[in-house]
Amino acid sequence: MGNDILGDDAVGFHAARSLRSEPFEGVDVVETGEAGLALLDHLEGYDRALILDAIATGKCRPGTVLSWGRKDFKDIVSPSPHFSGLPELIQLAERVGMHFPKDMRVLAMEVEDPTVFRESLTPGAAQALPALVSEARRVLAEWGHAQPAAMLTGGPRTRR
Amino acid sequence: MKQRHVAIDPITRLEGHGKIDIFLNDKGDVDHAYLQIPELRGFEVFSLGRPSEDMPQITSRICGVCPTAHHMAATKALDDLYQVECHPVGRKIRELVYNTFMLEDHALHVYILGGPDFIVGPDAPKELRNVIGVIGKVGLDVGKKVISMRRRLRGIINYAGGKVIHPVLGLPGGVAKGISPDQIAEFKQIAAEGLEFAKFTLQVFKDIVLKNEAYVKLITSDAFTHKTYYMGLVDKDNKVNFYDGDVRVVTPEGKEYAKFPIRDYLQHINEHVEPWTYIKFPFLKNVGWKGFTEGGRSGVYAVAPMARLNAADGMATPEAQKAYEEYFKVLGGKPVHHTLANHYARVIEMIQAAETIVALVNDPQITSKDFRTLPTKTPKIGVGVVEAPRGTLIHHYETDERGLMRKTNLIVATIGNSARIAMSVDKAAKGLIKGGNVSDGLLNQVEMAFRAYDPCFGCATHTLPGEMPLIVTLRDLKGGVIKEIRR
Repeated sequence: MGNDILGDDAVGFHAARSLRSEPFEGVDVVETGEAGLALLDHLEGYDRALILDAIATGKCRPGTVLSWGRKDFKDIVSPSPHFSGLPELIQLAERVGMHFPKDMRVLAMEVEDPTVFRESLTPGAAQALPALVSEARRVLAEWGHAQPAAMLTGGPRTRR
Repeated sequence: MKQRHVAIDPITRLEGHGKIDIFLNDKGDVDHAYLQIPELRGFEVFSLGRPSEDMPQITSRICGVCPTAHHMAATKALDDLYQVECHPVGRKIRELVYNTFMLEDHALHVYILGGPDFIVGPDAPKELRNVIGVIGKVGLDVGKKVISMRRRLRGIINYAGGKVIHPVLGLPGGVAKGISPDQIAEFKQIAAEGLEFAKFTLQVFKDIVLKNEAYVKLITSDAFTHKTYYMGLVDKDNKVNFYDGDVRVVTPEGKEYAKFPIRDYLQHINEHVEPWTYIKFPFLKNVGWKGFTEGGRSGVYAVAPMARLNAADGMATPEAQKAYEEYFKVLGGKPVHHTLANHYARVIEMIQAAETIVALVNDPQITSKDFRTLPTKTPKIGVGVVEAPRGTLIHHYETDERGLMRKTNLIVATIGNSARIAMSVDKAAKGLIKGGNVSDGLLNQVEMAFRAYDPCFGCATHTLPGEMPLIVTLRDLKGGVIKEIRR
């Protein structure tokens, strides 16, 4: 997830492209600049979802990779004026009986300023990118997706 | 006078760029309240030197919420830049995509974003003021219908535009792709369902909002009322048009003040700058900036659904026209000045968008294989305009003779409302917060004052999941924190 003309906000895209270049068995790589309800379209039908994103908490060093699981999104803490967040999407999907990822992981890199228009990452984010990719690979391996060495043609989708 | 400072500071993904600051005096009443928006920076510089043909794709990336509006305004600016009239079939395809986007986006706001305040209730527990609370109130089947309808409408945009989020539809003089006759039966089905859905939504609004005396009282209350100028695009009959037309401005009394082609916008619109925010405040140049004040002597104007309905003489389609007439009857005549009426006006616009979609998919020309007029002239200056869901959106480009960008000026829809939003937040806070009582429900009602405009503040900042997205900070005059409340 991200915006590819807002500098470090695109760090998730960069990580996703790296993963796409070494296709994992049973994994679809999707890039989207959307938020809220639109994410339902991307998440519906999958058993698991790994979301790669940028985040600006201001509470840790830029380049830090933060991680959350589905349980962290269990509670809706407040209404949002402009979109539905993951907690709402998860509850919504459950309420309407949608086939939605039971297992969900968010990996987000802390970035300094994702509000300036530029097409490249800052040196700091570029330097930290391998750590995000590495963590993403680890999650995929944990979920049983084969390492890419023998997988040169892409694999079957997990979508039902 | 001694002041305390209350900040409503959501830090979630989109609204992270907006923050409401409320200053209380020593009696605990509101001295002043305003909305701060740290805007995204550097787009004009970013666009310089790029081929103008890239602008519909680049500008659609400015915002993940309304990419289609930017794409279409940019495409129309390219028509003007290359001095080519859009091919009539290309125009119909553009209008089909655009009205589909308007219907989908408005539905999203009615049910998911602004609607929960009314459908669930402004004083309902915060954990219920969301789409889940809406489903609890209107029923699971309606929830399923909203999700399904939205997806099917996006299917039309996806087919014609390539990608929903970054459409590649628009080219100067027409569109990149036609509509196959094989596709039209499905589109007709979606269009018919879309119209039923829009009419159903009006009924939901009537049943839940208009039949609730307290809600109507809130909508028409002084705290949510401003008498300003109103702006919107109108067709040759002065009816609401989302895709094209002249810009029409009416006075706070509802009389036509100006009507002009978008090329002349600089003769009518100027922008005021305040030191406390990045956001600019457009105003009517020939009336003048008189501060954040209302009335005919102040150049402050409004855009978006309520303003569009005020600025026009009617809706362009029959069912929407009926709803339009009822709207002014219910709200006490024209023009309507109640900010929260934007929700009602939005539903009426859903009906016009849906009726327009039905007309377009039933137009035999829509599947023509000829849909573009090739431009042949040398580019120089181009200005394009559409009515985005959030108001009048203007793209102004200037290029060299090769079509490389030399200047970009965008007046985005939310900015058109910025002065009125600032006034709404201030007035709502003053009307609702007394004696230092800043309860959660009251704060939500202050937020409602700007949420009604469906504002879009850009999209880059992300929230820390599980954290409270609302922080209220009480400060003394020197900025020291007296108390911090998180929810």
